[in-house]
Amino acid sequence: MKALCWAGINEVAVEEVPDPTILNRQDAIVRVTASSVCGSDLHLLDGYVPTMMAGDVIGHEFLGEVAEVGPDVRERRVGERVTVCSIIGCGRCRYCRSQMWSLCDNTNPDPGFLEALNGHATAGIFGYSHAMGGFAGSHAEYVRVPYADVNAFPVPDAVPDAGAVFASDAVPTGWMGADMGGVGPGDVVAVWGCGGVGQMAAKAAYLMGAERVIAIDRFPERLAMAAGRVGAEPLNYEETDVLEALKEATGGRGPDVCIEAVGMESHGTGGQYAYDRVKQALRLQTDRGLSLRQAIQACRKGGTVAVLGVFLGFVDKFPMGALMNKGLTLRSGQQHGHRYIPMILDRMAKGEIDASFLLTHPMPLEEGAKGYELFKHKLDGCVRAVFQPARTT
Amino acid sequence: MRLKRDLAVAALAAGGTAVAVRYGRARRRRAARRGAAWYVVTVEADPAELSGTGRPDALAGLSERHEVRISAAPGGRGCEIAVRDADGAARRRLREIKQLLETGEVLRVDDQPEGHRTPVGRVALPVARTLMRRGAR
Ligand SMILES: NC(=O)c1ccc[n+]([C@@H]2O[C@H](COP(=O)([O-])OP(=O)(O)OC[C@H]3O[C@@H](n4cnc5c(N)ncnc54)[C@H](O)[C@@H]3O)[C@@H](O)[C@H]2O)c1
Ligand SMILES: [Zn+2]
Ligand SMILES: [Zn+2]
Repeated sequence: MKALCWAGINEVAVEEVPDPTILNRQDAIVRVTASSVCGSDLHLLDGYVPTMMAGDVIGHEFLGEVAEVGPDVRERRVGERVTVCSIIGCGRCRYCRSQMWSLCDNTNPDPGFLEALNGHATAGIFGYSHAMGGFAGSHAEYVRVPYADVNAFPVPDAVPDAGAVFASDAVPTGWMGADMGGVGPGDVVAVWGCGGVGQMAAKAAYLMGAERVIAIDRFPERLAMAAGRVGAEPLNYEETDVLEALKEATGGRGPDVCIEAVGMESHGTGGQYAYDRVKQALRLQTDRGLSLRQAIQACRKGGTVAVLGVFLGFVDKFPMGALMNKGLTLRSGQQHGHRYIPMILDRMAKGEIDASFLLTHPMPLEEGAKGYELFKHKLDGCVRAVFQPARTT
Repeated sequence: MRLKRDLAVAALAAGGTAVAVRYGRARRRRAARRGAAWYVVTVEADPAELSGTGRPDALAGLSERHEVRISAAPGGRGCEIAVRDADGAARRRLREIKQLLETGEVLRVDDQPEGHRTPVGRVALPVARTLMRRGAR
């Protein structure tokens, strides 16, 4: 079959690879109908995630049709249309049972790297390096899904592919940000990053009762999308001083909940950004923490900062003093998608959540390299490029 | 050109691994000073299932080569299986036992689709996997 492989830093290529097979009795093989790029892939492309090897099939946010099931699959049926969570859970360990699926104990068979780095290993993720389990990704015609009964979710007919594909990753991640923030009626929420994740966090915040959501980015078309499609108040950090603007907009209090949806490659202006870039390039710090610092600085006293952006190692100049003295709550995690996906699909079917507008660039799989080029540099208004293996043009 | 890039990628992976290994080593040194030599995992299982003749074969096998201690975990969190002086292979076996008990299978990640591996990658990947599969102490 054809698959999009990581070939080196900032290099991906469509290659002919062997078809996946059922390796465990609870596996299913899913024929991929749509597979999206995600901001997390940019950290792979840019070489910040160690243990990537040329030849690794990437992609983790996807939708497909069950093509084959292993002998111990009980619920999923061949032919079913399914959204598969980007994070792989086992459904049986203490963490999965407690709805903390991305902390699953059993889905990373090669945990040594993460154990040594972080103290413990976390769940496997499709197409996300050998440290994260070494699972082949979804930018392919077929993908193997372990523990298919718990990781693949049937999609209601009323939900189009264009929305359902994002129920795998961007929507539940955004939802989790607002959920971790404990967003409730009357809250003012600020979201850093207007990618798919940030926009869906803003949407979730409104659905949880937030009175105002302020969305921060620098790309006018993304800010316009967050405003037009989600109803957020756009804030361009290249044109305005974010901290001042947020104080002004919140009567001096600061946002009740700050959601960081940018991650370790935060962009910025001024000296702090230059400092971060140099230190990251020299590997003196692994991650750039500009938007994270800003979220902590901006947050109201006693508020909550929810970090959705992916960080992998160490951030310099972490404002521990602000966190401590303002009595902030800091929450984070890879998404516990399984906890939210059925509810999200249900809301999509009822028209309460629409994510289809994030899909700016549908493409055949063959154009994978171009899709990442557009997405990485945010060219041509690209918010998410989605590869459809059956598509020809 | 290609080789240069491969080496750069390998160096990056090696750099990350070196950091991880350094942390692991420091921890092991600390552990050695304390004299701690038990590797322990918590399993969602009834301690009664894991003792006596009805215990899983894999656990029986592990007990032949290592001292194994089983105790109830606090808060109804199943039980703790501790293995004394567990080497890499024993740590791997113990995690596999946990997986088997909890999920009914040992998850495989070898033999998946993959694209073109570089000569460096072909050598490095199985080594990296073997090392990571042992887990850290
Ligand atoms: N926690 C999870 O499970 C999970 C899941 C999916 C994605 N993510 C992470 O979420 C982050 C966003 O993902 P995405 O797909 O939306 O990515 P994306 O690249 O589409 O969007 C990121 C946005 O952040 C903006 N940005 C950069 N620096 C900024 C700054 N200083 N202030 C405000 N905005 C800034 C960029 O302009 C861009 O629009 C990534 O780090 C990704 O890895 C996490
Ligand atoms: Zn993602
Ligand atoms: Zn689990």
